Amino acid sequence: MPGPDLLSSQGLRLDGRRPNELRRIRCKLGVFTQPDGSAYLEQGNTKVLAAVYGPHQASKSKSSSEGVVVNCQYSMATFSTGERKNRPRGDRKSQEMSMHLRQALTAAIKTEMYPRSQIDIYVEVLQADGGAYCASVNASTLALIDAGIPLKAYVCSCSASMAYKDGVPEPLLDVGHVEEAAGGVTLTVASLPSTGSIALLELSHRLHSDYFETVLSRAMQGCRDIEIILDKAVREHLAEGWTKQDVITI
Amino acid sequence: MAGLLLSPSEKVYILHGIEDDFRSDGRSNIDYRPMELETDVVSHASGSARLRLANTDILVGVKTEIDVPKPDKPNQGKIDFFVDCSANATPEFEGRGGEQLANNISNLMQRAYHSEQAFDLKQLSIFEGKQCWKLYVDILILECGGNLCDAVSLAVKAALFNTRIPFVKAALLDGGNVDLQLSDDPYDSKLLEVGTAPLLVTLCKIGEKCVVDPSAEEESCSVISLVVGVTGNPKCYCSNEDASKLHEHISKCSTIAMNGPGSVAPQTLTNAIKQGINAAKYLDEALGKALLRERQDITNFVKHSYGFFK
Amino acid sequence: MPLDYRRFNGPEDSVSYRRFTEDYTKDYKQFLDELIDENGRRKGGREMDEARTLCMFFARTGMISQAKGSSYIELKRTKVACSVFDPREIVHQNEYSTLGQLYCEVKFAPFSCRGERKALVPDSDERALSVALKKALEPAVCRHLFPNYQIDIFIYILENDGACLPAAINAAGLALSDAAVPMYDIITASSVAISGDKIFVDPTDDEEQLAIRNHDGVNHGVITMSMLPELQQVSDYRQIGSMDADCVLNALSILEKECKKIVPYVQRVLVQNAINSFEQQKKLEEEAKEREEALNAKMEVWKSILNVG
Repeated sequence: MPGPDLLSSQGLRLDGRRPNELRRIRCKLGVFTQPDGSAYLEQGNTKVLAAVYGPHQASKSKSSSEGVVVNCQYSMATFSTGERKNRPRGDRKSQEMSMHLRQALTAAIKTEMYPRSQIDIYVEVLQADGGAYCASVNASTLALIDAGIPLKAYVCSCSASMAYKDGVPEPLLDVGHVEEAAGGVTLTVASLPSTGSIALLELSHRLHSDYFETVLSRAMQGCRDIEIILDKAVREHLAEGWTKQDVITI
Repeated sequence: MAGLLLSPSEKVYILHGIEDDFRSDGRSNIDYRPMELETDVVSHASGSARLRLANTDILVGVKTEIDVPKPDKPNQGKIDFFVDCSANATPEFEGRGGEQLANNISNLMQRAYHSEQAFDLKQLSIFEGKQCWKLYVDILILECGGNLCDAVSLAVKAALFNTRIPFVKAALLDGGNVDLQLSDDPYDSKLLEVGTAPLLVTLCKIGEKCVVDPSAEEESCSVISLVVGVTGNPKCYCSNEDASKLHEHISKCSTIAMNGPGSVAPQTLTNAIKQGINAAKYLDEALGKALLRERQDITNFVKHSYGFFK
Repeated sequence: MPLDYRRFNGPEDSVSYRRFTEDYTKDYKQFLDELIDENGRRKGGREMDEARTLCMFFARTGMISQAKGSSYIELKRTKVACSVFDPREIVHQNEYSTLGQLYCEVKFAPFSCRGERKALVPDSDERALSVALKKALEPAVCRHLFPNYQIDIFIYILENDGACLPAAINAAGLALSDAAVPMYDIITASSVAISGDKIFVDPTDDEEQLAIRNHDGVNHGVITMSMLPELQQVSDYRQIGSMDADCVLNALSILEKECKKIVPYVQRVLVQNAINSFEQQKKLEEEAKEREEALNAKMEVWKSILNVG
């Protein structure tokens, strides 16, 4: 069952990338001064801001003596999508995204270090062009590192899809909005590449189990690539030393 | 603001500084902090701007939609302000926590843009009584470091200046329906006339004096601030030869409001209004200059996009 | 918005028939001519700078018996009722607030406005009025006397013929004093509508509509100000429209005078209120005494019967 035509006869995708190519990732740590950690990440045309507050004392109802409570909020700017959104947050999709973010990030944070505490992670999508969840996870990782919260490993997220070139299945890495909208299947993976574990796996709709392995391995490869990019960004940021924004006023 | 705690002696320090016209960051009472402004930062919006005023970070996106004009104003378009306080700014804004502040700001903006002398809605009309443009001005507050109102109004004006509205041909068909024809070329669009759009100036009363552009620390020392909305001078927003054709401009107050739980004496109010109009004039000139330079860069393809990387 | 199914709801895009009446197509000049006669007087026979308070100011307290304090104000065709309830503890509050809170709600009666019927759910007008009312009242109430408590203030606008915010503030001031809420001063409010060189003090709805319209780039707008007159403090100042600085300052001085003019009227109502409550107290005491006497007399009777037995 050949899906929609996502690959040209030359083997290029709709936006001109090769099947195994990521979109350009640019990122910056410490964009804001008030949060304990913040990061900005661009993945192609998807732009995400993440801010981390904490760890601080958890509110009574949430507090747990086992480990830290990870509190996530995912919200999308009303102008982030092609069609204007009426509400930035609180709708079903945002709530689901918040839950998924929480799941992926809890897997990476050393939660046992901070019992009865809480870490707030707020993600704001400024521009959505496919893979907003992946970009959010990647940005949150950077923000957590900026906040100095101990992580087990980098948690990276990447999506992959499936296309057919001359009848031969060919997985696509880092799905853009056009490819998502064209109706191909999207597999989203959040993983800790250096430990090889998967924190979250989501499949948008059905995919033949024969292909699952190849698509998953492509997505995992993407996660590993992203980890390298994030690691480089963190090292560069730290090499700069204390940023000039860390000057304390008053 | 996020975890801002000041001891009484810190407050006294700020207060005494203002008394002597020397504020804790070295400014005088009538100085603004440095700002960074960039337009055209969100590609999904018709116009956008990002303004950073010290720690205050505002992102504005303008989206356009086709709508039906109000029956009592058939030849006018619509403009709608929506403010979203992102939880990035402070955890207090999580969920619906920032809603009250957001409503206050959007109401204030709506009132400031209410008068036709501040913003002419007729330029948004497509076909009288049938179709018009509706502008959604979406304001995202990413970080608050004091003086939100001023920053929001500056960013909104910049975003509107940057907004392009496609040319539309409208023809009346049988049965009162309107047929709209849109050009395929995205550059086939017009710019808005926003020269008169108002700027808000907050005057924060601390001790016996009023200061402009209060920082978050200064805001916490004050119980009352006055917001004056002043219409802009269209001369600052067009090239020199066009400017000479325009009439002499008188800045007018398009809205005045008071924020905070306190009250003021009538004399203070009078002085503050005068001070606000004066400040708005200089602010408007500076904004006009920056925006014109930016537009020049865009048309010459030399504009460098910074976004959040700076 | 929940629809009221008991009434016939027209199609959603229906327009009021007024849209097609002659009134609607009038231009600025006609509108102005209609509001001001050749002697420079306004439609109702008032002078330009004559507030409705001066020719007719009807106000009373103790309007709603269930409320702790209440008031009613009528300025010709603007009619406002206000009720104030006892301070109550704020529930579901994250932080302890050292100052008491005011909760204000302004509601238009469905039949209060011309043209459209007001819906049951609060619309943006009502929300804006509620915020404005809260801002105006906050500096007047001694909020430090009831920390972590809130006072509920409800305004119901029965009929709106302009200047409903000042009427609401005046009514709320009376109701708060009737409820014996400690306040720093009497609070009064007034508004002006400005259109060109015409300044309408205490405008009617028509005059407000005129002032909101832009004509040839002249000054126009509506200003509402509330004051604590004895303390010489402006508690709220709210302006829409567009006007130059001189005009604003001129309006400011007019409003200041107007706010002071209302004070004696408010004082009279409050004194009357105090007298009434004294008299009522006296009456109650007398009644109690009578009842006690009657009881004593009966006791005597019973005693004598018992003694005889």
